[in-house]
Amino acid sequence: MELYVVLKVIWAVLLGVLLSGLAVMVGMDMGVGTLLRFVGKTDVERRTALNIIGPHWDGNQVWFILGGGAIFAAFPTLYATSFSVFYVVMILLLFSMIMRPVAFEYRSKVDTKKWRGAWDWAFLISGAVPMIVYGAAFGNVMQGVGFHYGWDGQYYQDESFIFYLLNPFALLCGVMSLALSIQQGATMLMLRGEEPIYGRARKAAIGGGIVGAALFIIGGFWVAHISGYAFTSPVYPGAPATPLNGPAVAQVTGAWLHNYAVYPILWALPALGVAGMLGAAVMNSARLPALAWWLGAIGWISAIFTTGASMFPFLMPSTTNPSQSLTVWNASGSQYNLGWMLFFALVFTPIIICYTSWCFYVMRGKVKAEHVAHDEHSY
Amino acid sequence: MPLIDPSVVDLSRLQFALTALYHFIFVPLTLGMTFLLAAMETVYVITGKQIYKDMTQFWGKLFAINFAIGVATGLTMEFEFGTNWSMYSHFVGDVFGTPLAIEGLMAFFMESTFIGLMFFGWDRLSKPGHLAVTYLTALGSNLSALWILIANGFMQNPQGASFNPDTMRMEFNSFLNLVFSEDAQAKFVHTSIAGFVTGALFVMGISAFYILRKQHREFAARSFRMAALFGVISSLAVVTLGDALGRLDYLVQPTKIAAIEGLWQDSDAGGSAAAAPWLVFALPNQATQTNSVEIGIPYVLDPLIAHSFSTNIPGLISLEQQAGPRIEKGITALNALQAYGKDHDTAALATFKANESDMGYGFLAQRYAPNQDLSLITPANQDAVVAQAEKDTIPNVFVTFWSFRIMMALGFYFVALFAFAAFFSLRNRLERNPFLLKLCVWSIPLPVLACEFGWITAEAGRQPWSVYGWLPTFQAASSHGVGYMVFSLLGFALLYSVFIAAELYLMFKFARLGPQPHHAAAPEAAAAPMFAAPAE
Amino acid sequence: MGKLFTFIGLGLVLALALLLAVVAGDYGPWYFAWMVGTVMIVLIAGCGAVLFDSQHEKGNGEI
Repeated sequence: MELYVVLKVIWAVLLGVLLSGLAVMVGMDMGVGTLLRFVGKTDVERRTALNIIGPHWDGNQVWFILGGGAIFAAFPTLYATSFSVFYVVMILLLFSMIMRPVAFEYRSKVDTKKWRGAWDWAFLISGAVPMIVYGAAFGNVMQGVGFHYGWDGQYYQDESFIFYLLNPFALLCGVMSLALSIQQGATMLMLRGEEPIYGRARKAAIGGGIVGAALFIIGGFWVAHISGYAFTSPVYPGAPATPLNGPAVAQVTGAWLHNYAVYPILWALPALGVAGMLGAAVMNSARLPALAWWLGAIGWISAIFTTGASMFPFLMPSTTNPSQSLTVWNASGSQYNLGWMLFFALVFTPIIICYTSWCFYVMRGKVKAEHVAHDEHSY
Repeated sequence: MPLIDPSVVDLSRLQFALTALYHFIFVPLTLGMTFLLAAMETVYVITGKQIYKDMTQFWGKLFAINFAIGVATGLTMEFEFGTNWSMYSHFVGDVFGTPLAIEGLMAFFMESTFIGLMFFGWDRLSKPGHLAVTYLTALGSNLSALWILIANGFMQNPQGASFNPDTMRMEFNSFLNLVFSEDAQAKFVHTSIAGFVTGALFVMGISAFYILRKQHREFAARSFRMAALFGVISSLAVVTLGDALGRLDYLVQPTKIAAIEGLWQDSDAGGSAAAAPWLVFALPNQATQTNSVEIGIPYVLDPLIAHSFSTNIPGLISLEQQAGPRIEKGITALNALQAYGKDHDTAALATFKANESDMGYGFLAQRYAPNQDLSLITPANQDAVVAQAEKDTIPNVFVTFWSFRIMMALGFYFVALFAFAAFFSLRNRLERNPFLLKLCVWSIPLPVLACEFGWITAEAGRQPWSVYGWLPTFQAASSHGVGYMVFSLLGFALLYSVFIAAELYLMFKFARLGPQPHHAAAPEAAAAPMFAAPAE
Repeated sequence: MGKLFTFIGLGLVLALALLLAVVAGDYGPWYFAWMVGTVMIVLIAGCGAVLFDSQHEKGNGEI
């Protein structure tokens, strides 16, 4: 296989890794944000819940920023097109996302009910909305989006935002994503929190896992009935990356299960996903949150790679001009660029893992309510 | 191929400018305060005096209030290229996206992970351990500035990439050229150090406020001293780098430097280039291509810009005329490129290659072509099209001229202010100079203003290009409807207004409150005998 | 043994700093200036504080 193709495949996998990191790490914080009003009845309880992720939310959020940057660099055309065609939801995502850093820093700085109450709502919105949008984006992309390109590479949108906003399959994916984020967030609250937060989080974690697994299974059956996409003429994976002169593509019902038919081993991914989500629920009910956190993470990651495996090599198919569908082959960066980025990823990822783990290690242990109330640095 | 609705382009530009300028209200303070905090903590670790720890923690608290919005609004920036500048993202994403991705890997993770430890790790880390964390936070935040400015450097002086007609985009071809671009280098240092100035004046101004009110004297005097020294060198460096950038613009962005100086005619038009005046005041008029009023100092322009007494600096009018032939070649290039895109005709490719370097100028002609279609340009109508497009090759002179002058005046003001502040602080004569202290307090917002005008100079001066010489701004936007833009603009305006109200409220609240952590009173009292406590 | 590790650690940091300085000095003079300059600015600010402390041990408490 030629080098360029190898690089494209590596970056497709890394895209999956990034989306997984985003889902697991940012999703966890979002879950805490969503649950804040429910696991914390009093102000001190809410502060405790916030301080459980307090030292880490900012670092975790970088997964989100890095996700944006890496898609920009590794799949520039995908970045250019997807962010623009989903403009309305992307902007809603941004609006909700940007409330969160401010909410963390400002909420506990003023001691009035109104002020803190308002920021608690901001946490709910900035926790739930991004996760629903995140899941719904997967759902929408799987069904294809209406766009085509002009000769110079400018995209043109062929469908209204109403379609992708109110799309039942996408909504299912959105709710599933929300459920999984609640599972991860609640598990984290159990890990570092004490009663009564622990007990309330436990219920949410178990519920999140079961709902997530159920929706994942329903989604799996649903996919067999939606239109997937398949090439109908030869594909040259190593060709220069442009969607302008692509091979013919047809919409075929159930095409998203083709890869599974060809490589049955892939069925391990969804199986692992369901096992992870349900296993986490079982571990949470057995009060073993550390194990549950990792199982939940496996569930999340498997769900994302399940989607990737069923669509590969498609990234974002076009409903109105299928031959201009974005794929791993035609939306990627140049070979030189992918090479340099891989170099940086190989050098810095181990370093990042080291200091992030060290940071979690330094801040380990239970967060106690009385400590939060007296520590001037806490949120 | 219809062009994007001009009002959508304008709204996209407005949104980007507003969100970027808003973001940059908070960034400079982060860039500078982190290193200032590191300096304070260094003194704490070395001398072991509690007051320096209190300083680090108190200024750290104010810093955190500011940092949160910086992070929040930074998210917008990372995504706005995709949401509003899709053609831009497609066209240069292969080279422009890379520094942004590296920024995430190398800098954001570092900054964001360690900032958590910086605020939460006081009791869990050893003294040197915590100090190292503070330094890493400072380094991380400045490294993120480095990579974003490398990306910006590419927009100003595109190097390290070439156009690939097979993919219709610029493709990355030289990492070294991209990273060591002179524009990126000078701009990074200029921006980072401008942040140092902002941080220093922030700390110095609030300290001056305490000194004026005779509150927290020990605390404020030390903070003032450190900030004044930090600022005096930084402000000098900012001016130096500003000069370097100006000279660089003269070399690679002649239209920008001519607009900055309000130079319509060549500098030797009056006979000698050396005698050309540097304009202190002018009212540039884009329509008549003259300055309605101008007051200048002779013999300053040439040495300032070209570091010489004999070099002609081309004026805007001759730059426009020089663009004419490039526009003609650009039209040929784009027509050939479109033909090549259709059927990969090798003759078309050869024509394109011969005119490739002027391709961007062809885009400029598009809005004046019949039906906005370049292939409809004939020898008969070409001259008219080129004549119109020529006028679009220069930036808005009034905006560029004045934003530059405001920035520069502020820059020199900071040098003077810090010099006096450092002098009187070193001599311990601050309290005898209440006027200077008041000036420091009132000057707190000025560095931010200077930064904003600096960005306006750099980016308004880059127009009409989004990537200088390659892609015009009006071509770079996403093809949204006006409704989308109104929706997002209103939302940003609303959210950002709430944010700034909350941040100013908290900032004033905690700055007024002053350093009163629960444990500070005891160590300060304990230290008092050492410092011959003054009678108040 | 601990000292040896400190020594090796510091040596590595030093070598890295030298490498960085040489590369930056060759290709990016302004980057080099930033590194040196920032260290200098931080140190001078720190020295100012130490100087303040020593001035005040002897001085009359005026600021």
